[in-house]
Amino acid sequence: MLKQLSTRLLQHLIAQNSWANALLQPYAGQSVRIHIGLISPTLIILEDGSLALAGDTNTPDATVTIPPTLLLRLIAKDETAKSQINITGDTHLATELAKVFAHMRWDYEDDLSKLVGDIPAYQIADFGRKAVGSIKETSTNLAEMLSEYWQEEMPVIAKKRHVEHFNSEVDTLRADVARLEKKLLKFEKKLTQPLSSPTDTHNP
Amino acid sequence: MTTNQDHNQQTHFGFKTVHEAEKAKKVGEVFHSVASKYDLMNDVMSAGLHRSWKRFAVEVSGVKTGDKVLDIAGGSGDLSKLFAKKVGVGSPQNAGQVVLTDINASMLGVGRDRMLDAGLNVPALQCDAEKLPFPDQYFDCVIVAFGLRNMTHKEVALAEMQRVLKVGGRLLVLEFSKVWQPLSKIYDAYSFKLLPLMGKIFAKDAQSYQYLAESIRMHPDQETLKQMMTDVGFFKVDYYNLAAGVVALHKGYKT
Repeated sequence: MLKQLSTRLLQHLIAQNSWANALLQPYAGQSVRIHIGLISPTLIILEDGSLALAGDTNTPDATVTIPPTLLLRLIAKDETAKSQINITGDTHLATELAKVFAHMRWDYEDDLSKLVGDIPAYQIADFGRKAVGSIKETSTNLAEMLSEYWQEEMPVIAKKRHVEHFNSEVDTLRADVARLEKKLLKFEKKLTQPLSSPTDTHNP
Repeated sequence: MTTNQDHNQQTHFGFKTVHEAEKAKKVGEVFHSVASKYDLMNDVMSAGLHRSWKRFAVEVSGVKTGDKVLDIAGGSGDLSKLFAKKVGVGSPQNAGQVVLTDINASMLGVGRDRMLDAGLNVPALQCDAEKLPFPDQYFDCVIVAFGLRNMTHKEVALAEMQRVLKVGGRLLVLEFSKVWQPLSKIYDAYSFKLLPLMGKIFAKDAQSYQYLAESIRMHPDQETLKQMMTDVGFFKVDYYNLAAGVVALHKGYKT
């Protein structure tokens, strides 16, 4: 049942994002396994450029591994996280699929309108958008308030300025140590070199 | 020598062993008997799940507008109807084509009438899957749903399906298969006790449904069918277990 539902959902999303068909069609018949924590679905690209779950005995052409911590960063739209996704096999195929997922949008308002009509769907979606926006804003405010409290009132988090100062001091110390090491090496070399005899200088 | 030849021409009809020529006739009788109540019985037997399995088969087929689809052993035509929508039968631009076939005239009659009632221009053709009356490389997709197990020479039928497919075309085989082991006892009890009883009540035909249960057990399991498809030349053969293996959907490509 899960296979049927997942495939239907994937095809519905692709139907709403028809631009993806043209991107995926050249890869028809190829499959990508995505490891995210405990789940690892394999998606197959169909001949019409849509997606489905692959069969039970499928051998994927590419594998994408996203550790759960990285997934959180990806959800938070951390651009540096993308470079840490581990791809094996056909990297071009996996990259194209990732591109499709990154730009895919679920038009929930359209789906809702089929159930309740256009105007209620707009109102519900608008309410949802406002609620999500408000939750986001409240969460940001709360996080900022806590970070300020832990930096100023009860200092358990280091301030950015202090961390940068500390880092710069560490860099200076590293450079000093490196210089000292070089000097010591120079001295060691001088000590190990044989002393020249004074008689040699008097030879014609 | 004659005895050996006779032995070689034996095949299964459920749990019974019959002469090859007799199997087609007996299968014909079974489906002639159940034709009018076929979909009702499918709904009762599978609790409506057969519709979901068929829809899933259409979804993973990857057919698009303008494609040509062959529905083998299509009987009551429910798959042809779904495919007709997907390929755009009768659409003014880039119209696709679906051909409904069945060896059994009674079943095909039901399907043809339904296509007409739905206003779909789907030709219905009575033919043997082992001798398909179509040119080489004609279809983008061939599907056989709950029909392969009734065919006498499955390899011959699979080879024919491969012949009529275009390069890159795919064959989908939706068929009863080997259920997940822990459920096998419950499934056996259901198939051999409840199924004939339901057949008796709803279709007034317990024997035909006894054959149905037996033929499922005699049909190749998931891996064997996968190997059979590979042997006739399909590549990238893969299957989906549906409802814990009660049904499996095999998909293979023509090279």
